[in-house]
Formats: sequence, C-alpha cells, structure tokens
Amino acid sequence: MSKESRMRATVNQKLTEMGERERLKELLRAKLTECGWKDQMKAHCKEVIKDKGLEHVTVEDLLVEITPKGRALVPDSVKKELLHRIRAFLAQHAT
Amino acid sequence: MKMEDMPLSGPDNTRLEALVHDIYSELVEDACLGLCFEVHRAVKQGCFFLDETDQESMKEFEIVDQPGVDIFGQVYNQWKNKECECPNCKRLIAASRFAPHLEKCLGMGRNSSRIANRRLASNNNMSKSESDQEDNDDLNDNDWSYGAEKKAKKRKSDKNQNSPRRSKSLKHKNGELGSSVGSEPYKYNYNPGISYETLGPDEVRSLLTTQCGVISEHTKKMCTRSQRCPQHTDEQRRAVRVFLLGPSAPSLPDGDPVGESNIFDIPDGQTLMGRLQWEDSPDISPTDSASSKASTNHSDSRRPKKKKTPSLGLNSGGGGGSLSGGSSSSQSNISLPTKKKRPKLSAPSITSIYDDLN
Repeated sequence: MSKESRMRATVNQKLTEMGERERLKELLRAKLTECGWKDQMKAHCKEVIKDKGLEHVTVEDLLVEITPKGRALVPDSVKKELLHRIRAFLAQHAT
Repeated sequence: MKMEDMPLSGPDNTRLEALVHDIYSELVEDACLGLCFEVHRAVKQGCFFLDETDQESMKEFEIVDQPGVDIFGQVYNQWKNKECECPNCKRLIAASRFAPHLEKCLGMGRNSSRIANRRLASNNNMSKSESDQEDNDDLNDNDWSYGAEKKAKKRKSDKNQNSPRRSKSLKHKNGELGSSVGSEPYKYNYNPGISYETLGPDEVRSLLTTQCGVISEHTKKMCTRSQRCPQHTDEQRRAVRVFLLGPSAPSLPDGDPVGESNIFDIPDGQTLMGRLQWEDSPDISPTDSASSKASTNHSDSRRPKKKKTPSLGLNSGGGGGSLSGGSSSSQSNISLPTKKKRPKLSAPSITSIYDDLN
C-alpha cells in the first residue's frame, strides 16, 4: 500500500514538475468548451441558481450540484483522448 | 472500461489503470471547479443573467425564419428598384447608381475632376489644332508642329490652356524650335498634315523649311513634324522638296555633308542659285550677312529655324558642300531684325562659291 501510495505520489509529482498536468488541464478545458459541455453546464447552473435563489448561491452549492452532472456529460472522445495521454505519460516516465 | 493493453504485468496493470483514471477524474473535477468559480463570480457581479430579459422582449427579438425576409425580419433588397431624384439635375436615378451619379453631377469626388480635366484638354487640343490648320502663313508658322507635339506631349497633363506659360513657350519655340522638337521621342498619335495642292509656292517653301514635309502615301498630305522626324528619312524629304519646288531645291537643313555636296552641282540660273543660297552659307561673317541684306530676298523663306550648332560646325568645315541653312539663319537673325521671322541668307558669300564652281 505504501509502496503504491509512494508510487502515486511520485507520479503526481512528476506530472506537476514536468508541466504535463497543466498541459492536460488546458487540453481538457479547450476540448470541453469546443464540444459544448461548458454551455450545457452553464444552463444547468442557471437552473440551480433559479432554484436556490440568486442571492444565496455559494460556490459549494454549485459544486455539489454540478460535479456529478459534469462528470457524466463529458463526451467519450474527450475522455478517451485524455486517458490515452495520461497512460502515455506514465509509460514514458513512470516505472 | 477496458482500455488498450499496456506492456505491464497484471496487477500492476490494474493498479496503473486505476491510477490513470484517478488522474483523469482529478482533471475533470478541476475543470468543474473552474466553471463553478466563473459562474459564481458572474452571479455575484450580476452579469450572469444578462442575455435573458422578460418574456415580451424575448418574443419581440426572436429570430425570424420566413421566406423573403432576413433573420431580423427586414426585406433585404427593398431599395434595389427604387429611384431617387437627383437634387442637381432633377433626373430619376436608380438607387444603386445614385452615389456615383452624384459624384459626377456635383463635380465632387476624386474621379470627376480628373475626367473634367481630361475632357478640357482634349477639347482644347482639338480646337487649337483645327484653328491652326486655317492659319497658314505668318508668324504662327511654328504652331504647326507646336500644335501637333503639344497635343501628343501634353495630352493628359495640359490643364490650363490660357496660362501665360503657354505663350511664353511659344515665343521660346520661335528661336529654338529645332532643339525642342528634334529631341522629342514620342510617337504622335495625331498628325494634322497639310495638303500640298492647296498651298502656293511660297507657302510650300516656308513649310518645307520648318517641317519634314514628306507626302504620305495614304492621305497625300505633308508631314508636319520637324525636319528630324523619325518617320521619314532625309532622302524622302529631299525627294519631296525636289518634287514640290523643282529639281534643284532640296532644302534639308540637316547637316548632311555627303548628300548635300551633290546639290551644288546643279545650279541653273540665278533663281536656282538664289534658292540655294539659303542652304549654303559657308563663311558667315557679319560683314557678309550685312551686305547680303540688300541682295537676298526670296531665299529667306526656306530657312529652317532650328539648326544651329550642328550646322555651324559644318559651315566652318566645308565651304561648298555643307548644309548650313540653320547657321546662316541664326547669323542672319542677328543681323537682320527688320525682316519677318525668316532669317536672311548671306548671298554674296554663296555667289562667290558658285563663281568658283562655275
């Protein structure tokens, strides 16, 4: 376990250090905007806000409402590409 | 979620896959968080719901989807067939042509001044050259070629026909016609031409002293270009002069020593010698030209006003054979101001030459 957690820690560290994490983040954001995921999520936010009331909305409220839906709405192509890149990185730099 | 096989051992593989998915989930959550922050900030700043208004306004600005009409509900070629009345000329102009028409009608805009100037220039040139053709004899002799070359040279740039500069250049040309005309490289598009049949002998002679004079095959007119016009050779010019004025009257003022020496073998009588006098004045001395004033009359008409420097050189060189009408003319101009513009020849000097020849 600790070996695994150590390995994870190493991998995460490597991801961040080499800038791969940032690159992956930007890539994901761009792809999600491109495919309309962002607009869908914003529309969902509007509904949540209308439900909760404009004045009393907090970041946590939104996050709790949005994240599950967001995870579900990511298109398969985007998901596949991202997974592929992560695996490639691990194969190259880990182990 | 079975992905491609990785070249790893079993348990490691699954662990690695799990790791990959975990990393992926982290990234997605990160994106969601970013979105939440963005939305929350927009809500708190009050700009989140800006694109939504009340229901009535929404209906008013809905996208229109009818045929013949654009999405705003406007007919797009509504003004195509309309006609507008021009406030200047009171004509009905099509809407799409209205702006260019106004430009020309009111005389404003970039092109209208250009067109007007060009029109003025061509009109003036036409009228000027036409009037020149009537003016045969007299001091406007130079205007023949001047008119032709002016039209060709200043076709597009001639803006002010009545400027003082124009008359100044005219006077300038009286004395210096040779240099300016001779140096012109342009090909004239318009050559008024003269019909030799209508001219008297004096006029013909006067023309031939200043102009090329070669008779065109097609139009039967004499070329009005300078003595050095590139379209005709000296042979042609000489032939024309022989044809028009008699066999012994070649009047090419150009320095052509080889050709010209032949001419002096022909003299027949006093008249011919008188005619030849102008072209051959080998020794131009003030005294000679002064004394020639009395004797020479008629030969002056054929003097070319152009040639100065080249013929001067020839004069000094060859006494008998050089064409020196130009030089003689220049000299005589100095000595004989009383005559018309035609410079007088020095007769006594020439007569002496002929005495030698004879």
